[in-house]
This record gives sequence, C-alpha cells and structure tokens, in this order.
Amino acid sequence: MDRADGVTSRRQAPRNRLQAPGPELRPTAPTTGTVACPRCKRRFVAERYAADLNVCSECGHHGFVGASQRIAQLADPNTAETLVVEVGDRDPLGFDDGVPYPQRVVRARERTGLHEAFLTARASLAGNPVVLACMDFEFLGGSLGSGAGEIFARACELAVAERRALVAVCTSGGARMQEGIASLAQMARCSAAVAEVIAARLPYISILGDPCFGGVTASFAVQSDVIIAEPGARIGFAGGRVIEQATHDKLPDGFQTAEFLLAHGMVDAVVERGRLRDTVGTLIRIYSGRA
Amino acid sequence: MSTTIETTERERIAFAAVELARHPERPRALQVISAITGGWTELRGDRLFGDDRAVVGGPARLGSRSVMVIGQEKGTDPMTRALHNFGMPHPEGYRKAVRLMRQAEKFSMPVLCLVDTPAAHAGIGAEERGQAWAIADALLCMLGLRTPTVSVVLSEGGSGGALALALADRVLALENAVYTVAPPETCAAILYRDAGQRARAAAALRPGVETAHRIGLVDELIPEPPPGAHAHAPLVIAAIRGAVIRNLDELCEIPIDELVAQRQRRYREAGG
Ligand SMILES: [Zn+2]
Repeated sequence: MDRADGVTSRRQAPRNRLQAPGPELRPTAPTTGTVACPRCKRRFVAERYAADLNVCSECGHHGFVGASQRIAQLADPNTAETLVVEVGDRDPLGFDDGVPYPQRVVRARERTGLHEAFLTARASLAGNPVVLACMDFEFLGGSLGSGAGEIFARACELAVAERRALVAVCTSGGARMQEGIASLAQMARCSAAVAEVIAARLPYISILGDPCFGGVTASFAVQSDVIIAEPGARIGFAGGRVIEQATHDKLPDGFQTAEFLLAHGMVDAVVERGRLRDTVGTLIRIYSGRA
Repeated sequence: MSTTIETTERERIAFAAVELARHPERPRALQVISAITGGWTELRGDRLFGDDRAVVGGPARLGSRSVMVIGQEKGTDPMTRALHNFGMPHPEGYRKAVRLMRQAEKFSMPVLCLVDTPAAHAGIGAEERGQAWAIADALLCMLGLRTPTVSVVLSEGGSGGALALALADRVLALENAVYTVAPPETCAAILYRDAGQRARAAAALRPGVETAHRIGLVDELIPEPPPGAHAHAPLVIAAIRGAVIRNLDELCEIPIDELVAQRQRRYREAGG
C-alpha cells in the first residue's frame, strides 16, 4: 500500500471549514475579549487582532500564530482539507522528568487541539495546488518529535504523489529532548522526505516564523527553494542565550533576527504576514511555468 | 530513601559512560586516518570563507581503494584541542566536508566519515555564516551522494553537528561511544534549566550508541576490549579498519542507483 494512502483527509465537512474550526482547527489565540501587543502593549479587540493576522497595527509586531490559524491565513477560503495523520503515542526513552512524557503530549493535545506540533493540509493557495505543513509553537515548543517528523514526511510524500507545491511554516525551539536520539533522527527523516520533493522537481517554499531554532532550522526549514522569514522572527541554530553563556561574547544588535539573516544572505526575503499568500502564490505560479 | 539512592546510582553510571566516551586518550580522527590509510593528503578550506580545523579531510588509499576521508578532530593536548576547537565545527567545516564529498562522487571514490564532536559550535560567527544552513546542506548531500559512504562514530556523536557527517550507507560506532541529540549539559539546561544536572540528563537520555542502534541510526557496534578504546588504541583502530573495509567491499557491489534509494528509504524510516 502506498504510504500516501495512510493519509486520509476530511473533505469540506462544515466543522472542518476554516471559518468554523473543528477540533483540529481550534485557534490557539483567544477570540473574545482583548489582546495586548507583546511589544508596544497596545490592546486590541481579539477579533480585530485575529483579522489582522495577529500583527499589531500600531507597531507592526508579528505575534504567534497557531498551526490551524496559519492554514486559514494561507489557504484560499474553503479549500483547506486538514490531513489526519495518526502517529500514535511515542515514548522511545520511557522519559519521565516528574511528568511522564506521554502525559505531557496528552496535555499539549488538550491545550492546543492538535495531534502533534505539525498540522498539514491539502489546499489551494492563491489558486495553486499545495500541501501546507505548519508547525505550532504552542505544542511543546514546536519541538521536532518522531510524531511531528512523520507528519511532515507524509506531507512531502503527498506533495509528490499529487504533484503539489510544498509550503512549510516553521516555528520551533528545536529537538524534542524527551525523545533523545529519536528526535535527532527526525532531521534525517525530514531531509529524506524533502529529498523526494526535490527529486520530483516540485517547488518547496519555507516560511520561518518566530522562533525557529535547532534541528528544524538545520534541516527542512532551509532545504527549500525559497526561504521567507517573517519580520522580527528570531532564527538560528543555537539560541542567543546559549551563545552568550558559552562564549561570553556580547551579541550584536538584532542578532539572529530575520533582518539580520537577510543582510547575511541566509534568507531570500523578509515578508510581512499580510503579503505571504500573494508572495508565495506568485513564486509557485512562476516555478510551475504558469502566467 | 532507597529509590533516591538507586536513582543517584543510575545517574552516576550514566554519566560515567559519557565520561568514558570523552576520555582524552580515545583514538582521535587524525590518529585513525594516519594508522589505517596511506598517502592521505589533507585538503583545506571551504572555498567560501575559511578553513575549519575541527573538520579535516582529504583523499587517501585504504586497502585496495582510493577513498575520501573526512573526520571531526578534537585534538590531543591543550594546543591541538584549541586548534581544532575541541571538535566543534563551524559552518566552514561542514561546507568543506560537502566540497570533499562532491569531489569523491566525481572520482567515484567511497567516502569515510569519522564522527567525533560534542556538538556543532555555538557562536556569533557560526550563526552569522549559517551554521544551520551548512548542516542542512550536508544532510541533503549525504542522502543523495552517488558513491558509497561509511561513517564511524569514534567517541562522541552530539547533535545535528554529528548527524551532518553520519547519514551514511553504513554507520559503525565504537561500543563505548555516545550518540545524543545534544550533550547532556545542554539537555539538562533545556529540560531542567540547570546544566549542573547533566548526570540526571545522561540517565534520562540513554546516550549509549545502542540506543542509536535500536532506532536505526547506527548499524554495527565495534567492540572495545575493557576498560575501553583508550587503553587499546592499536587494537581498536585495527578493528575499525577491518570493519570499514568489509562494509566498503559489500557496498561497492551494490549498483549506485539502488544504493542511494536504499539509503534514502532507510533514513526516511529511522527514528520512526
Ligand atoms: Zn505593537
């Protein structure tokens, strides 16, 4: 059986429409009351802030966006079918640091409504057939466990099977320490999956959100044809605090921000969230040889 | 009371294993290269920015074949340890490795990688010059390289910094080596917000290479006579040579298309 067959999709059932989020698509941001911009502290009505894609209309700060909200922001209306990939319960080390690791996963699932740190969907993006693979930082820091790795790899395989472009939104603290070496292996698995997308000559565009570090940055996040970073996003391999402690060097201004990486030639563009869909859509259309 | 003592004992044993892997007299990459190859000619520089001495490499003869040997070198005394940055590569090290792997592909030479690093270097320059980008590129390079590859984890395989040279057709590891997602100190800092709890992290993370073997990142363990490779360097180096040649003999029989497909399938499943 083709591995892609293991991926089932939920087609257009009303509760899976992005306007009416189902259990997998519950936005992590509040939808009632008010929210404060983390940078300038200006308060917004939650609905308005969400309508602005969690970008502060006052200072331009780009706030966190959950995976389901990401899919809603990038996909054309009513086109996203979230992919249900059952990855089961994984605990390769029998890890327990006061709270058993499987229990931490259960709590993260309850809190975010997500199955893992990755949520994937088949969708249309500015009219282009795509597979969206979005990470959620609220799910155990967007860490790359074996479940998350499997979901990403399946998304790559679906892109190849259906000749769709791959669009990944990456935001992660890095490895999932509780899975130890199995977490490290996900860098290999995800890279092997990206290699299939590359071999199929399909466009792969990655969008790096705040924050994006460790094994995610050091693998699929930057193995794309085009790397786009969101304004102000902190991106790197080792975290700034770790570097400061290890080397006692003073970090330069704006170290590891999207703008810093653009200046150092590490990303192709810094694109405001409101322009992501257009920018990515245009690129895919051009790579696909369409007007 | 007794559980606390047992836990402490378990942590002590776990960290002792990490310390054994870090024993300063274990065989180092340059030592292995000079012992098992002939005519090794070191090639330096990434052709982009500089030369990273944490990664050494160049063509050599191994048995009846020409091979490209790439190793992470930790150094053996205070001066060489500083010179080789304690085996912690900068982006230039990975880019040099990729350059040499491409060259090996061109001349149909198998690649031998000697892995020995606590982690990739964490520093301002490394970040400015794209540490993550260099590692990600090395991973893709190893996955698609159209020539047989063997990696040997000598002592410490830490983080993506080790993985970048370890996505080979065959991965061998010395029995007492460790292979971890990050050094126990880093894991402790992340998990318990206290690098001092490294023994606790070591116990929780099962850093021994048998864990890596179980999840499919390592194929074969090379035995070390007690108390370990530090006391029997010539024997262990001879065992490495034998194991590498035996694996290369097998790999060179496999048509290259099949070999690359096998390798990609294998890493698609590892840690699943
Ligand atoms: Zn603001």
